[in-house]
Amino acid sequence: MVTDAFAATGEHAAAAGGHAAAGSGMPQFEPSVFQHEIFWSIASFVILLYLLRKYVLPPIEKVLDARNEKIRSDLDAAETSRREAEKISAEIQKQLNSARRQAEQTIEEARLEAAKYRELARESLGQELAKKKTLALAEIDTAKASAIAELHHAAVDIAMLATEKLIAKNMTKTETNKMVQEAITAIQESKIPVH
Amino acid sequence: MSLTTASMDFPAHAVAQAAPKMDPLHHFQVVKDVSMSLFGIDISTSNSVYAMWISAGLVMLFFHFAFKDPKTIPGRLQSLGEIGYLFVRGMVDDIIGEKGRPFFPYIFTLFFFILFCNLSGLIPGSFTVTSQLIVTATFSLAIVGFSFAYGFYLHGKRYLKFFVPSGVPLLLTPLMIPIEIISFLARPVSLAVRLFANMTAGHTMLAVMFLYVISLPWWGAWLPFGFTVIFTGVEIFIGFIQAYIFTILTCVYINDSIHMH
Amino acid sequence: MDATAAALIGMGLAALGFAGSGVGLGILFGKAIEAIARQPAAEAQLAKYIWIGMAFVEAVALYGLVVAFIIMGKA
Repeated sequence: MVTDAFAATGEHAAAAGGHAAAGSGMPQFEPSVFQHEIFWSIASFVILLYLLRKYVLPPIEKVLDARNEKIRSDLDAAETSRREAEKISAEIQKQLNSARRQAEQTIEEARLEAAKYRELARESLGQELAKKKTLALAEIDTAKASAIAELHHAAVDIAMLATEKLIAKNMTKTETNKMVQEAITAIQESKIPVH
Repeated sequence: MSLTTASMDFPAHAVAQAAPKMDPLHHFQVVKDVSMSLFGIDISTSNSVYAMWISAGLVMLFFHFAFKDPKTIPGRLQSLGEIGYLFVRGMVDDIIGEKGRPFFPYIFTLFFFILFCNLSGLIPGSFTVTSQLIVTATFSLAIVGFSFAYGFYLHGKRYLKFFVPSGVPLLLTPLMIPIEIISFLARPVSLAVRLFANMTAGHTMLAVMFLYVISLPWWGAWLPFGFTVIFTGVEIFIGFIQAYIFTILTCVYINDSIHMH
Repeated sequence: MDATAAALIGMGLAALGFAGSGVGLGILFGKAIEAIARQPAAEAQLAKYIWIGMAFVEAVALYGLVVAFIIMGKA
């Protein structure tokens, strides 16, 4: 059966190509077609090579070169803008830094001033207190002095009263002195402070 | 083949008549069209030759439309064309380097010619040029022959050192030289057979599956038909890979003759 | 045994070469997955070599297929 089919194939080939090809299984091993196949393979290849070199490769290379050029110029432009942006950013940073420094300075100044004011306030308060204290002491002194003066007055009054009485009773001088002394002692013993 | 007749209920004479059409290798048949000769060389046209022309024309058409109005910001088709260009250029630059620049147009043409031959062969009713051993052999012999000649042109007699492996004991050298020569001679054979066999095998597989589709009853035919659908996708992938392999090995061979390993 | 039967057997034997390619593919992808699991960052780079390697390994199987076809022609 296989041979039948092959024989038929051979007959078919013979009928179509006009060459005897009996017994050949693969049409590829049929030598009668080799010559023109070789010729036309080479011819087709050479013609295609010529056409591609002339009409196809130059435009492809041109467009690829143009793209490379564009990419390069775009990259250069991007690099320039990047540098510019960096510059601007550095400037902004600088400004920010100076602003921060300024703010810090202001805060420091305010702090110093506040400290100064506080010191000042404390100082004035101390002065006032001292003043008040001296005033109060002076007042106390006056009051004490007036009290002592009053006491003296009282003592003198008492003494005078006593003296009057003694005189009225005609007492001796020694007795009078003794009485005065007693009166003074009595006053002293009543624990009234005397300067 | 036997599978075509085993599952069919046609009478024997109908099978015999249909046999040529049921041959899974039938679509590899080169059929001469116009017989011509030039200085004794047969330059007849055939379906294979027409397919070659169509593939070459498709390459030109593709790049014509892709770069009809080249823009800096590419459209879809232009992007595709550029990807193809940069793919081949990357291959040449990676493997050969700066000295590979003069060969770039040749390798570019080779890649796209083979790629479009592989892919256009998948269109039903068309012809796969790269499934012809003689075509791939022509290319591979031209490539290896060129790389050999170019090596001699560049290095002169020193190029023969190419066949003397370095770092091998002197005693083994006489043994290694024939091996190196054989492996060099195997280059065009393997290069040609790889592409040819991949294309042939894939298309034969598709053909066998299609024979199953027409010979099986409707409730069974969907299975091989679904397989052909999937396998066509695989074939597109293989078409790319094989064009890539063919081109990359071309680069490797040219690199060998330029730099010597 | 007539020549056709022998040819059919030979074609089948030639197809045995696919086994080697299968083993190769298994090793290839197994090692590839291992490598990617160890070094996920290298996946893109490895993928390139995986596909190239796959094409090479697969080609070996297809050489067997070509041999089968050649035998078919002799039948």
